Amino acid sequence: MSGVTPADLAGHAFLRGMADGHLAVLARVCWVAPVRQGHLFFAEGDTARRFWLIRSGHVALDVHAPGGHQLIVETLGQGDLLGLSWLVPPRQWQFNATAVEDTMTFEFNADAVLAACESDAGLGYQLVRRVMSAALSRLQATRIRMLDLYAASSTARGGP
Amino acid sequence: MSQVAAPVRPARYQVVERQEETHDTVTLCLRPVDQPIPAYQPGQFTMLYAPGIGEVPISISGTGPDLGLVHTVRAVGAVTRALCACTPGRVIGVRGPYGTGWDVSSAAGDDLLIVAGGIGLAPLRGAVLAALGQRMRYRRVMVLAGARSPEELVFGRELDGWRRGGAEVVVTVDQAAVGWTGHVGVVTQLIGRADIDATRTTALICGPEVMMRLTARELSALGIPAARIRVSLERNMRCGVAECGHCQLGPLLLCRDGPVVSYEAAMPLLAIREL
Amino acid sequence: MGAVDNAVEPGSVRLMEAAALDRLFASLHEAGYLVIGPTARDGAIVLDELTAAGDLPFGWGVQLEPGGYRLRRRDDTAAFGHSAGPGSWKQFLHPAREKLWSARLADGGFEIEQAGDDPGRDAGPPRLAFFGVRPCDLRAIQIQDQVLGSGRGNSRYAARRAAVLVVAVNCTEPGETCFCASMGTGPAAGPGYDLALTELVSGERHAFLIDVGTEAGASVLAGVPHTDAGAATIDRARSAVAEASQHMGRSMPAAGLRELMAGSHDADRWDDVASRCLTCGNCTLACPTCFCTSVEDVTDLSGDHAERWQHWASCFDLDFSYLHGGPVRASATSRYRQWLTHKLGTWHDQFGSSGCVGCGRCIVWCPVGIDITEEVAALQAEAEGTQAQDAEKQGGAP
Repeated sequence: MSGVTPADLAGHAFLRGMADGHLAVLARVCWVAPVRQGHLFFAEGDTARRFWLIRSGHVALDVHAPGGHQLIVETLGQGDLLGLSWLVPPRQWQFNATAVEDTMTFEFNADAVLAACESDAGLGYQLVRRVMSAALSRLQATRIRMLDLYAASSTARGGP
Repeated sequence: MSQVAAPVRPARYQVVERQEETHDTVTLCLRPVDQPIPAYQPGQFTMLYAPGIGEVPISISGTGPDLGLVHTVRAVGAVTRALCACTPGRVIGVRGPYGTGWDVSSAAGDDLLIVAGGIGLAPLRGAVLAALGQRMRYRRVMVLAGARSPEELVFGRELDGWRRGGAEVVVTVDQAAVGWTGHVGVVTQLIGRADIDATRTTALICGPEVMMRLTARELSALGIPAARIRVSLERNMRCGVAECGHCQLGPLLLCRDGPVVSYEAAMPLLAIREL
Repeated sequence: MGAVDNAVEPGSVRLMEAAALDRLFASLHEAGYLVIGPTARDGAIVLDELTAAGDLPFGWGVQLEPGGYRLRRRDDTAAFGHSAGPGSWKQFLHPAREKLWSARLADGGFEIEQAGDDPGRDAGPPRLAFFGVRPCDLRAIQIQDQVLGSGRGNSRYAARRAAVLVVAVNCTEPGETCFCASMGTGPAAGPGYDLALTELVSGERHAFLIDVGTEAGASVLAGVPHTDAGAATIDRARSAVAEASQHMGRSMPAAGLRELMAGSHDADRWDDVASRCLTCGNCTLACPTCFCTSVEDVTDLSGDHAERWQHWASCFDLDFSYLHGGPVRASATSRYRQWLTHKLGTWHDQFGSSGCVGCGRCIVWCPVGIDITEEVAALQAEAEGTQAQDAEKQGGAP
């Protein structure tokens, strides 16, 4: 089903340092998935049953607001994990994800990955740690964006 | 690195060109009417005088023809609003140049990493142009610029020119509508993807103080020595010549010992609240 | 009276009777100086223009304490038996308000009409003879020279300073709040005076030992009756001054103030002093080295005419550190900390010396009586206590 080897996965930043045995398990439940610019990975509200590791390219997470506004929440690229909602209930995508340009990924069967984690707690721990790290880094960045540091009242390189 | 400064009275400079960068930011090209001020180093600032209203410290963002100056001003108060409203032909006052510069040439032979947040790109523009003006002296020249939104990116029209001049320019915004093909996220998130060689990179950072602290910390964690990371600090300034006492930050007088300060010197000072 | 001697040189020591002070004043006036010195007025010893020696505060002393100043009658006729008056010499060299320039606004621009640094604008600043500069105040002038006298921007200071003649007065009787000895600034005047007087009063005798510092000082003595001082008299004067250093009411630690200030940013003591401090800024007004200023741009009603004025500012003002919509130093804690750590600590980094001369004015003129020597002692105790705790933690880990 896959054609992906543990060695292929070992080279991806997200899985750096993972033991060969665990990589072998993951390799069995993923496949190489190149997509074209404009490809919709998932839409808001869909059940989250897959996730991706981006090998190259550029993906935008966006949300649709009334009035015809489609706002980009965050962009991801090489080395990033695409998809967090598959790991915990309600396992539902909160945003849309679209390829901004042609993008190369490893695509994973999230159900299979979760099953493997249930039977191998060591694998589960390693995976969850890495997901937590990605989530933490995005949370910190998002908190900074919320400060709106570049807004006029909080910055004035132009002086008083 | 401080220059000999002009005396107490402002020199007269005429606005020859006015470019709106964003809804509240304007770039003015100025040309001297009388004696020009001494030559400047990227990173230095002048005190700009809006006649009859007042003075503010503004970083120099470049030079113009005929010994001219380029200043990018954001309208946040009475003086800056008046400056932003100046049309070609108006004469304003300039005192300076004051302070320390980025010392771009100290990175010769190595990689130059320039990280800008918001209008912090204005004080760094001179550094970018200086590096591109002698491109062969540097290995990589990287510019990572963060802005609130694509509409609030300053010098947006110049970035392709910088790329052609040999700079790797990556832009990220806090918010954008679909259609924007650049990054959305904070500028520190670009650092991991820039493939930086910490053993031979000099970093120049300018933007809101919180952004500079976080960026410097991130670059430090990568392994860039604190002495090779420089930030541009800001405090209330009045005289520009180290005589009025306003711009103190601990032992530093920022008009004389700054605004460009190494992160090594700045880090302990930025950690103290209400210093 | 004594022979009138014209051949006085820098380095020589002369003796002058108090009765000859009028002649000394006349000599100063003839040389073109306005004489500025202490005089008793409005319940204090203030610095003002003196027309004659009689304006000096003969027989007046002061009673000093934290937050307290009273004139008192001395039981002798000493002219310089007082200290820590509310004003210092900075009001003459670095005026509280000063116009920097004026301009005509027209044709979409401006034209400076008159600037302070225009050469030959007028005859120059008036020649002033500072009469009665205490050693601490002489050091304070030199400290301000370092900050303002380089000519980088405030060229008017340098011009005013060059037109000043300094007649210092050594101290033989420190005030209750003085601590010049531990700051290394007194009670004897250091170099930098044109003339230095030591007042000798006992019973009917009232005279001044005069140390001649410069040619300018020497030339002022021409025409003033003075005699050879004599070894015994010189010895008596020197001893009186040396004795004074044993009678200081207060002291600062001899060394390590810069390091103490640099290490004390998180000290609890700052909140303690801030709970008492009114942030009124009296200390910065009274302090002879405080130099901070602000500028103000003003126009007239027609909008055709603009002026820029410079005036004294205080780091205790909330708007002093205004940046991006608010003050960087909003709390009283941060402002008091700024003032003291600058004066005793970062002044070294910025200007190469301490900013404090031990004159004690900040103690006297603080309305709530904050005493910086007491604050420093408390900070030092806190620092030592913290060090001891840290050492214990490291040593005591199981």
